[in-house]
Amino acid sequence: MIDTPLNATTPGNTANLDFSSIRQAIDHAKHYLPSQGPIAVFIHHNTLHAFESLPFEEAVIEGLRIYGSQPYWQESRYREEMSRDRIQLQDLQTVLKRDLGESCLREIALGTTRFDLRYNMLRYSLSTGSDSEIRWLMAQSDALERFQLGVEPQAGIALLEATRHWIMRDLRLHLGDSSAAIPSSIRSVFDEFPLQSIESWSDSTWQQLTLQLLWRICQDGVRGTRRIGHTSCSVSRHRDILLSLCSFDCDAQVHDLLIRFTSAFLDQGFAGWSIPQRDEGFYKCFLSLFSERSPWSENWLRPLRALLAEECKLVYSPMESIANSLNHLGVPEEKRDEFIKRTLLALPGWTGMVQQMASNASWTLHPAPQDSLEEFLAVRLLLDRLSATLCMRMYLPKLNKLADLFAVEVNKQIDLREQSEQQIAFYVFQLAQRLNWTPSVLHAWTASEWQTVVEEIGLFDDLERRRVLHLAYEHRYRTQILDAVSEHSKLPLKIPEKVSFQVITCIDDREESFRRHLEELDPNVETFGAAGFFSVPMYFRGAADAHFIPLCPVIMVPKNYVEEVGPLSAKQAQVRRAQTRLLIGKASKSFHRSSRSLFSGVLTAIFGSLNAFPLVARVLFPRLTAQIRSTLGTLVRPTIATQLRLERGSDSVVTEKGAEGFTLVEMANMIERLTGDLGIHQRFAPLVIVFGHGSSSLNNPHESAYNCGACGGGQGGPNARAVAQMANDPRVRAILKDRGIVIPDSTLFVGGFHNTCDDSTSYFDIDRIPPNHAEKFVAASEIVDKARKKNAHERSRRFYSLDMRCSDEEAIRHVERRSEDLAQVRPEYNHATNAACFVGRRGRTRGLFMDRRCFLTSYDPTTDDDVTSILNRIMQAVIPVCGGISLEYYFSTVDNIGYGCGTKLPHNITSLIGVMEGAASDLRTGLSQQMVEIHEPVRILFIVEAKPESIVSIMDRNPLISTYIRNHWVQIATLDPQSTRIHLFQGDRFEIYEPGPHVLPTVQASLDWYRGWRQPLGFSTVESRASTSRASAEMEVVS
Amino acid sequence: MNVALWTQIFGIVAALCPAILLLLLGFRLLINRPMSELIVGRCLKAAVGMSLVSSLVVLVIMLATGSRREFIDFGDMVAIHDVHFHFHMKFVFDRLSVPMVLLSLVLCGTVGTFGLSYLHRDAGFQRFFVCFAMFLTGMTFASLAGTIETLFLGWELVGLSSALLVAYFHERSAPVTNGLRVWSVYRLADAAFLAAAIALHHQTGGGDFGILMGDEPWPAGTASLSSGTAFLVGTFLLIAAAGKSGLVPFSGWLPRAMEGPTPSSAIFYGALSVHLGAFLLLRASPILDQSTLLCAMIVILGFVSAVFAALAGRVQTDIKSALAFASLTQVSIIVVEIGLGLQYLALVHLIGHACMRSLQLLRAPTLLRDYKTMENAIGESLDHELPRVLAWLGVSTQRKLYRAAMERGYMDSILDEVVVGPFLRLFSIFNCWEQSWTRWLNGSEKPSLSTPLPQGSKLNDE
Repeated sequence: MIDTPLNATTPGNTANLDFSSIRQAIDHAKHYLPSQGPIAVFIHHNTLHAFESLPFEEAVIEGLRIYGSQPYWQESRYREEMSRDRIQLQDLQTVLKRDLGESCLREIALGTTRFDLRYNMLRYSLSTGSDSEIRWLMAQSDALERFQLGVEPQAGIALLEATRHWIMRDLRLHLGDSSAAIPSSIRSVFDEFPLQSIESWSDSTWQQLTLQLLWRICQDGVRGTRRIGHTSCSVSRHRDILLSLCSFDCDAQVHDLLIRFTSAFLDQGFAGWSIPQRDEGFYKCFLSLFSERSPWSENWLRPLRALLAEECKLVYSPMESIANSLNHLGVPEEKRDEFIKRTLLALPGWTGMVQQMASNASWTLHPAPQDSLEEFLAVRLLLDRLSATLCMRMYLPKLNKLADLFAVEVNKQIDLREQSEQQIAFYVFQLAQRLNWTPSVLHAWTASEWQTVVEEIGLFDDLERRRVLHLAYEHRYRTQILDAVSEHSKLPLKIPEKVSFQVITCIDDREESFRRHLEELDPNVETFGAAGFFSVPMYFRGAADAHFIPLCPVIMVPKNYVEEVGPLSAKQAQVRRAQTRLLIGKASKSFHRSSRSLFSGVLTAIFGSLNAFPLVARVLFPRLTAQIRSTLGTLVRPTIATQLRLERGSDSVVTEKGAEGFTLVEMANMIERLTGDLGIHQRFAPLVIVFGHGSSSLNNPHESAYNCGACGGGQGGPNARAVAQMANDPRVRAILKDRGIVIPDSTLFVGGFHNTCDDSTSYFDIDRIPPNHAEKFVAASEIVDKARKKNAHERSRRFYSLDMRCSDEEAIRHVERRSEDLAQVRPEYNHATNAACFVGRRGRTRGLFMDRRCFLTSYDPTTDDDVTSILNRIMQAVIPVCGGISLEYYFSTVDNIGYGCGTKLPHNITSLIGVMEGAASDLRTGLSQQMVEIHEPVRILFIVEAKPESIVSIMDRNPLISTYIRNHWVQIATLDPQSTRIHLFQGDRFEIYEPGPHVLPTVQASLDWYRGWRQPLGFSTVESRASTSRASAEMEVVS
Repeated sequence: MNVALWTQIFGIVAALCPAILLLLLGFRLLINRPMSELIVGRCLKAAVGMSLVSSLVVLVIMLATGSRREFIDFGDMVAIHDVHFHFHMKFVFDRLSVPMVLLSLVLCGTVGTFGLSYLHRDAGFQRFFVCFAMFLTGMTFASLAGTIETLFLGWELVGLSSALLVAYFHERSAPVTNGLRVWSVYRLADAAFLAAAIALHHQTGGGDFGILMGDEPWPAGTASLSSGTAFLVGTFLLIAAAGKSGLVPFSGWLPRAMEGPTPSSAIFYGALSVHLGAFLLLRASPILDQSTLLCAMIVILGFVSAVFAALAGRVQTDIKSALAFASLTQVSIIVVEIGLGLQYLALVHLIGHACMRSLQLLRAPTLLRDYKTMENAIGESLDHELPRVLAWLGVSTQRKLYRAAMERGYMDSILDEVVVGPFLRLFSIFNCWEQSWTRWLNGSEKPSLSTPLPQGSKLNDE
């Protein structure tokens, strides 16, 4: 249809262009792209990582400006929380006073302070809408007949009386007098009322008159005042201009093609036919594919071949191509950075993935070449040019080159926050009814007074209100937990006299309830929490695994390779099983492929009726099917009696990438560090169980996100196993003894694994437990078994699909079913509801019901040195990890569409690297709606058992921690190791925290506290057998 | 009571249970009194269960008595004799309809149960199950249809519920756009179907398959049509089937339909809906037998579609599109089999494929885990070599083919530009004329017949 040459403008001399400035712009822009890598390894991180140098409250507004994603929940959502008392009025008052500081008492109108105004704007839900909505409301609803809903009756009567006095006193006589100084607009209000009978008007007539007068005066008063506008979103791309001029989105067709091409380019081996010339990079690959003559092409793509031919002829590098495109697009020098940023952010998910695959994915099968983002931009700009050109030719035929678009007068500033006169007037109207601003008072305001009020209302706009509401929302939980901790720690330190066994788990919030139940079941159990890789960073390969995977936090790079090997005695059997596995694997691979192909597909399909059995069985009886499958699976799985090849031998391979196994000294170092962190080294029980954790679920592309964060999205079982093996090694114990850490010969370490989804627990190397320990182990494992069932029961209260009357056994069956159910989109709730992190001795929080919302890190301040070096290294790991989890949950919750990945139901795995929504869409990053639906978005509160000075010194030593705390991405408080004094970091320093008059309820068992509740629960002290048994222990001592 | 009466009773229960479910769910939602998730689940299971059991009973009776065909006749729903219009509701149980209805019920029951968990606490739960019940009703009616108008009724219900479920997430624009696209292709297929039905009525005075195809039960009947008429009717039916089953040149909608929640994609585009075109051809196989030319056309169309779908499926990088094209490949082969007169093979193939594909689609989100399991078993990363057939081709041909496959045979854009575009332009010309004439009639302006600029030539959505 339109086939004129594209290069209507003479291409500028690209050689003159400064590539480095373009490169700089790209480098700058790429920080704003989502930094989530391939989904098979899901790492929780701060969604707004790029803005960490800003204070939280500014950063979220930047996020709104750049991504258009919401900084907080919508106001209506906070109002719901107010109505269920999750936010209380006193929270609002406290937070608002603190926020306003000294300007709190500034009087902005007669008798009304700034605090009053803001408080009332927060307290009541004032409605607003577009101008036409407000006009409709006034004309069609009873807004001008009756006081608004929620206006207290006394306030209404006071307002009525004042108005009545005013009219009877001042206005009545002058209404007939046209020369009197009553504005005609007010006079006209009275036209509709029978003035003759004014003395005998009913209350409702007065109400009508009052409201109409108010509305009229508000409208008059606001007219002509200057309103505060914040211009924040600028239009910078051709697409934006064309969209506003002709309602045509030229990105749609570009994205359609770009998504297909990019997903093919990044594909990690899903498609049966990978894209030709992928190795030559994004730009070359695109060029060669689209330079071919094709029998047909879409309208807008027809000039593409000519364009590409020109690119080929001039042998452009991607960078030259970008410069050339920018020239054609006519982007002015000063707008170039913004333009490039906006262009890259137009399809953020895919663009971000190109960048991730190019920079951060060397472990994948097909990483992208290093400069892929540049090449992507070059291609994208070519397509943008074509699409915009076509659109312009179609709708704006008078323009002849793309650069002209910048000259077209469009409203280039989209104001996110400006309010219209009508809207402000409506606010004043509503506030007047509540603050007793009578018509006479408003009428008497001078223009400057009106100006002040309008400005004040404008200052406290939607975003500001949501900010304060959010602070109040956080304040409520903070008050609750700090009061509870302060109250609870008044009780004597809860340390069992005689420890039966010790359990070490990950700090994960999901283990809080597991540990609590263990302690409830056996008061002599001691539990500890350490980051779930247990200070053993390693590459690990299981006996039946294809690859080594790193098991440690992502910020670390392991240096050691550990392999699981089968026992020599069963070598034949191992080989046979491995061969069977290989056979089955190959068969399932060829079924997977051939069922989708042409001819072999026919065979598979004709016998496909057999699939009806697994189909029906798996959907209707998932748990039973899983049991059968697992029984069959044991036939080919490697025997359980495997071992870790943990120690470096003389023949082990050592390269610069790493070494096979650990040396004894390395092992001793790791155990020393772990026991030091935990503070366990003062007293070892005869049995120490170390539980790594992970999660398994079906039909869940985000499965890796449910695993242990400290193991880089892997399962922490091997780490626990390694710790146990190292700590049991007499040679390691000997080294440790020299360093002053004495592990008694009677102490045995056992490694285990806790699956947080089906709440199963398993142990490693139990065959190697010495017979004299067997009894202890069996007794301990029985308690663990009860605890996991109770844990399943407690967490089942959040699952609406299970009756709350269920027993422990039913609960465990239910969670087992959940993890095997193909139809289950919420196998578990992962870190949802996480809100706090306690770093300190378990004795201080033991018996406190924290509702699975608190990370529990063990740290013993009494064994730390003067410069708190142990706390320092703990905080280095805990702050970024827990902070990252908390913030990812925060952002995915407040804007699930913008920051999260939306609902899971239409998710479609693409290229084996991520999910799209439906058939084709941008790659979705973040957490899904089902993962966060029960989450309460609050910034995590760290409560550290230390002196405030120690934290300040740690902040001085670690810029990252300092940034997190000083910019308020996380909250932090300290609990004095010797007393119950709490300091809270507010503003820029620690301030002493005054606990409220809070009574902490005491319950006999956790069950008594949570039974019958689905919602988040407050705190309580669980004190039952713990105290009685302590008493009995004392008795024993006495006797 | 005699056996015939029991057959009638169970037949009626089998055919009507889904319809009652639809009325119940739909009515409760209409008066804004939706039932709880639990009750919806029970109703769904009860309806499918009763229908399934009744169909099995009918099957057992038929096997026991050796009957190969049972009719359940509701008579004319509408009959306007002056214009020779009548709508005859009649169900038939025979070798084609019994397997098909059993398949539909088993799959709908399973996928419905799946959906009860999958959509648990979703805002659109009620809406989903109303559409699902509509689909179930449509499938039962279509499978059991004894007249062409009953089949048409079922066909329409299936089409409507498909389009509504594609557009399930209506707060985003892509599902709505794609839903509309599916709907418009379906309408085209419907139009062809209707044309075939009318042609049949004109020829035979009714749409009853029993009369139409002779007295022999399926597939042995002989259509009482001349070869020419059979060709005409058959061509219309073929267009209808091609639209519904996404054969060339309508294939574009199939991958786009993967917008809804996973269970709806599984049941519609993996299992049942996509096979409905093939089912129509099976039902009409006595007509096809009358015209060799027609059969040849069917075979060619099926073959072309199969090759295209296999090629396009190879380059897809997302699991759902890949499965959509895999489905299409097999459906096309089933169509080829029908064209070759291998009705029984086609039926077995259809049932097997439906079961296999719906399981694959239901577990599509588990792909990453499956890959990991396979990698671990095999001990290395899974990667592909270029298929042998393609490796023979030159590099340039490879690229051309790859691009064509990636662009899905350019079918959507060709349809947009060649078929939809001219229509749109024509109608926007009419629109402008109308406006200017109205203005003239208002007395404000003179009429002008100048050709206006086409407004909104964006063809994606129409």
